Amino acid sequence: MSDAAILDLGLFDLLLAYGLFLLVVGLARLRDVGQERDLIWASLRMVGQLLLVGYLLHWIFAWNRPLPVLVLLALMFGFAVQVIGQRVSRKMPGFYRVLTLALMLGCGLVTFLFCVVIVGPTPWYDPRYLIPLTGMIIGNSMNGATLAAERLSAEMSERRQEIETALCLGASATQASREALRGAFRAALIPATNSMAAMGIVFLPGMMTGQILSGTEPMIAVRYQIGIMFAITGAVGITSFLIVAQGVRRYFTPAHQLRDID
Amino acid sequence: MLEFQDIRKTRRRDGKSLGILDGLTLRPAPNRITAVVGPSGCGKTTLIRLANRLEEPDAGRILLGGRDVRAFEPQELRRRVGLVGQLPFMFPGTVLDNLGKSFVLRRVSPPSAESELIRELLDICQLPNDLLTQDARRLSPGQQQRVSLARTLAAAPEVLLLDEPTSALDRPTADRLTATLREVARQRGLTVLMVTHDLRLAERCAERLAYLNEGRVLEEGETSDVLRNPRHESLRHFLREPADGENHP
Repeated sequence: MSDAAILDLGLFDLLLAYGLFLLVVGLARLRDVGQERDLIWASLRMVGQLLLVGYLLHWIFAWNRPLPVLVLLALMFGFAVQVIGQRVSRKMPGFYRVLTLALMLGCGLVTFLFCVVIVGPTPWYDPRYLIPLTGMIIGNSMNGATLAAERLSAEMSERRQEIETALCLGASATQASREALRGAFRAALIPATNSMAAMGIVFLPGMMTGQILSGTEPMIAVRYQIGIMFAITGAVGITSFLIVAQGVRRYFTPAHQLRDID
Repeated sequence: MLEFQDIRKTRRRDGKSLGILDGLTLRPAPNRITAVVGPSGCGKTTLIRLANRLEEPDAGRILLGGRDVRAFEPQELRRRVGLVGQLPFMFPGTVLDNLGKSFVLRRVSPPSAESELIRELLDICQLPNDLLTQDARRLSPGQQQRVSLARTLAAAPEVLLLDEPTSALDRPTADRLTATLREVARQRGLTVLMVTHDLRLAERCAERLAYLNEGRVLEEGETSDVLRNPRHESLRHFLREPADGENHP
């Protein structure tokens, strides 16, 4: 890390930035979009949430004990489960159980491997590393998990005839639902693949930008970014795979019968 | 061979429980074609879905060769009790790929285009030889229906369950197909249970006929006897007016 301190932003600077936002609200009002209240509410909510998180992080960093770090990670995890539950409109049978297990295993494993083993801060729970890196891993896994769960429901519904035809020919539930599983898993991996392909050319990723702004040498920031991208893709892939592999089973009875879901 | 004993089945729709089958007992004649006819929604399709355990009955037993169907491995049962649905689904690939599907699922080499089995299946199902290399999804609905039947027969089932098997076929093709099927049933010892609303098809093709209504078999016997001497008023009414668009014998 470089010693160069980042330039602080004062209240006036933030108000100036808020002016840009108000310009958008003004444009929305001018064109009668009808979303001005939502925009303002969202902006206030964002400011409130970030300030709260800021104070919380400040306190956790100062305390520097494993328990508050782990409690915060558990809260992030619970919030992720709740948000995914809200986003997925057609839920598979046993949705929350499948989702919780998949997120715990997928994100837990990758977080441990990347934060504790690869980055290896001392102490292992160093909140400056563990909290933002876990946040990125869980946040990105949320998108993959949502896509996997949503797509699996759609595939199982659209492929009902195909699946029952295969069952009638003596297929097991696993054989009959192979294409549905493949379709859902493929859909879940698309954003992570696209994001990796476009990175550095179409956009500079947030973590890297943040590190550079705070004075980190660009090549170190790049190495962190490469590492976190693989970790994110790993977490998205493992979580999505567990969701589709566990989820697909729940559409069948032990006698390889397709349950009547719709 | 196949036997339904006091089968009860309800379905939940919009929070309500609807009775589909209510104490149904039926024993299709071995090595013969038995047609099950009845008004729409009388549980015909449910009956054959229960026979190969795509669904479970709420009560009652289904026996295959004297053994409860639940005693079989579901995959083995479904190969022994083949079901051809009303709307055929073609897997991606050629007709030959589709005919070999049950072999691939068992991890056995599928038969070649020149094999005796494939020639026989094409013959039974009235399919021309040059169809084998064609994309199965591009076939006409009638051709797909016959490929679907051939694909099920390829697994050499003991019982064949057919749901409206000729709904997409023209009359002469349907007649030829069912005549061959009747022969195959006798020669190979295949028990065929066919549900249909097509009374003319049932009369021409099935040796036995069961009339299903209110969740039970109300009449069963030799097809000609049942059709000529209906004992129940509901069957007499059904023979006069099966339903819109359905065929009289």
